[in-house]
Amino acid sequence: MNTATFTPSRVEDLRLVTGRGRYTADWNLPGQLHAHMVRSDRAHALVRGIDTSAAKASPGVVAILTADDVKAAGYTDIPTGAPVKTADGSMQVKCAMPVLATDRVRFVGQPIAMVIAESARAAQDAAEQIMVDYEDLVSVTSMDAARRPGAPELHGVAAGNLSAVAIAGDEAAVAAAFARATMTTTLSMDSQRLAVAPMELRACLVDYDASADRYTVYTPTQGMLGMRGSLSQISGVTGDKIQVIAEDVGGSFGLRGGSASEQALLMLAARRLGKPVKWVSSRSEHFTSEWHGRALRLIGHIALDAQHNILAIRWEHQADLGAYTCYFQAFIGTRNLSVTMGGVYRIPALFARQELIFTNTAPVSAYRGAGRPDIAYAIERLIDQAAAEHGIDPVELRRRNFIPNDAFPYTTANGTVYDSGDFDGTMSKALVMADYAGFAARRDEAARRGKLRGIGFGCYLEASGAGGAPKDVVRAKFAADGRIDVFGVTGSSGQGHETSFAQIVADGLGVSPAAIRYRASDPSQELVGNGTGGSRSLYGAGSACKMLAARILELARAAAARALDAAPESLQYVDGGFQTGSATSDPGKRIGLLELAGKLARSADGAHPLDCEGEAVSGATFPNGCHVAEVEIDPQTGVTEVIAYNAVDDLGTVISPQLVQGQVHGGVLQGAGQVFGEQIIYDDDTGQLLTGSFMDYPMPRVGWVPNIRNDYNPVPTTLNALGAKGVGESGCSGSLPALVNAMSAALRSRGVPPMNMPFTPARVWEALSERAG
Amino acid sequence: MNLELTVNGKTQSMQCEDRTLLVDLLREQIGLTGTHVGCDTSQCGCCTVHLDGQAVKSCTVLAAQADGSSITTIEGLAHGDALHPVQQAFSACHGLQCGYCTPGMIMASTDLLRRHPDPTDEQIREGLAGNLCRCTGYVNIVAAVKQAASLMRAAGSQSA
Repeated sequence: MNTATFTPSRVEDLRLVTGRGRYTADWNLPGQLHAHMVRSDRAHALVRGIDTSAAKASPGVVAILTADDVKAAGYTDIPTGAPVKTADGSMQVKCAMPVLATDRVRFVGQPIAMVIAESARAAQDAAEQIMVDYEDLVSVTSMDAARRPGAPELHGVAAGNLSAVAIAGDEAAVAAAFARATMTTTLSMDSQRLAVAPMELRACLVDYDASADRYTVYTPTQGMLGMRGSLSQISGVTGDKIQVIAEDVGGSFGLRGGSASEQALLMLAARRLGKPVKWVSSRSEHFTSEWHGRALRLIGHIALDAQHNILAIRWEHQADLGAYTCYFQAFIGTRNLSVTMGGVYRIPALFARQELIFTNTAPVSAYRGAGRPDIAYAIERLIDQAAAEHGIDPVELRRRNFIPNDAFPYTTANGTVYDSGDFDGTMSKALVMADYAGFAARRDEAARRGKLRGIGFGCYLEASGAGGAPKDVVRAKFAADGRIDVFGVTGSSGQGHETSFAQIVADGLGVSPAAIRYRASDPSQELVGNGTGGSRSLYGAGSACKMLAARILELARAAAARALDAAPESLQYVDGGFQTGSATSDPGKRIGLLELAGKLARSADGAHPLDCEGEAVSGATFPNGCHVAEVEIDPQTGVTEVIAYNAVDDLGTVISPQLVQGQVHGGVLQGAGQVFGEQIIYDDDTGQLLTGSFMDYPMPRVGWVPNIRNDYNPVPTTLNALGAKGVGESGCSGSLPALVNAMSAALRSRGVPPMNMPFTPARVWEALSERAG
Repeated sequence: MNLELTVNGKTQSMQCEDRTLLVDLLREQIGLTGTHVGCDTSQCGCCTVHLDGQAVKSCTVLAAQADGSSITTIEGLAHGDALHPVQQAFSACHGLQCGYCTPGMIMASTDLLRRHPDPTDEQIREGLAGNLCRCTGYVNIVAAVKQAASLMRAAGSQSA
């Protein structure tokens, strides 16, 4: 085989498989300085003083920044995002994190100072000589500890460490439903705290151009507007003076939406020192100081009538915010849970009460789904538990309660409108794929080998992101080389935007995708749009790409008519060109779009007459699906093997099947990571982080879910131009419940009561041993 | 200290601090940024390169230990424009998304295929146990290793 003629699957691939990708840490600028952070090694303490004298004298040190420098520069705290409303109508109590700690630290890893030196090693050596005078305070690192009467409070303004108590739904209707219920079930489930852990570590390089008073910020991000907006908010520098560059981003999963302390400090340092300054995080710093994910407790109560119709669900949610308020955070434990709190079921009454709680831990923000997988997990596990307690097959209980196809658009009891779906059809397809009918025989066969086999379902539904920006805009610029550059603001962190968006525009124009180049930042910085997140990039910016192609053709038609000397309305557009004849075999006079573009003259400023914008307004959609997991536990060791994993998803219209399948695979495995291993653990007494490296924090590895079979039951949405529902977060939303329900079913057969994730061999073995003993 | 080593076929002499790690030498002094750093504890495998033909995590090797050795990084794997079969298979099977772990995965996979030209699933798992990927779910990575194995076996039987 001649590998030289190989065509990569994605536009991105060639540079990434040959080591020519450019991630932030790969950038270097002449004369750059290097930074290293000093962080709190205490969970809760007063800061009496910071002695930087020895560090200042250390070789190569150029500057040391502390809170005083931040204040002198007029920088403000880390943005806290939009607040949520509490049950009494007031706004949540927000406690912003200072860029650098002032008089108190509230979690291990909180930034205290930045050392800037001529080399990264010199900066690190000096940082170790900074002496912080602490006065320790008692810490609370769990929600239970933080809510205990008399617990130490992190912030004077947040009594009882409560930021908010929010409610959603109709409490009275739910109470009435429970009063007439025949059967009820209650289950408490933790969605444990996780490290987001993209493989690329956070990094930043800032260059300040004094002559233009302009900052160039190289840093990984999900979308340049979110990053630029938060940097602008912290620094007071207007957005037009901040250029964000992120060519390749090594994963994000919700983490890279905005600025943290380090990016802002580098802006301050680069301006003050007149040289570019670079900082690259260690993995240890990632664990201690970057936003964590999940950290939710979900307590569900379900009421059924005698025919197993669901009458109501009542939720009590607790969200661990960590030590400070940060962007996205408030919505994870509130709206993102309640918006779909009835899942795929017709439930007449729904209510949730939600507490947001401060603890002496790293702040919590978005992680793949940001509450959506958590509520899908909780609903589906509650359904299974109810089925087990009340002696009904879990498939039958679901089937009896699905929202039927003729009910769409369906308004849930708390007011969410689902546009479309085929929940029964999706599950039916999954049952066949997973050979549910043959499960009993497989379970019995496994039992003869001494193994516990379980099957579990996850009939998830989630609300994808409506987006914070009013619309998504993309811009086409016809380049001198005959290709079309398409600019947008949504940034890829592995999703393959350069491939998908080029494909959408190319399909719309009937030209080769090779003629289109997507770029995730626009030098003119005037575009409106959302960053990547909430599974919405493809249908948001992608819809705009589809509209862009239509707009290009509209402009080109008039130009083609002049070139062909024909009436615009008489022209046919066939295979990437305008022609006077209607057929491919008899085109008449014809001009290709790209040929036409090449002939059109540019204006003096380089603008091309076909340069234009496409825009789309795309709201939330409701991706859903049915994932079925089959597991086998060895009771002698507690080791679990995932025997089969079948996923049927309704993602609406699928644009790039291979990329969509990749998103599902990745999401499923991130769910498996949470189910079988991942957990951030703080020591209750000292508040120290016990899982601060990949040695202590089990990341999912090759073979954890060896085979994932995918199929689709697409019901295209009418809510955007593409009919797509989004895919980024669906894998987690399906796999958390499917895998945990499979584990729970297997363990239930040995009398093990419901247990929390993660199902590590030690915990599974212990749970089985307790029952046996 | 002074070192002499051959990197991607080019022999060079250089100076570095005694404490310099091989990965830092490659990235910072030689400018080969395709080798990535993803952790501090030798778990993630993003920094995997070949040292005298064997895969090593270059964050766990002192530059001094590589003195006199021959090193291949991801930048040196292709022959001109012709991708190595492993590089090609990773793309064809969509075995990469963000691409950050990919250079290390590819270098570990080529070493695995050197040892096991027709690997079992178990051998692939063992060979890649030291490489973390957060995006792909690994299913397509395993498929890529298998596809690369068959491409390489086919090429081997043609030349033999």
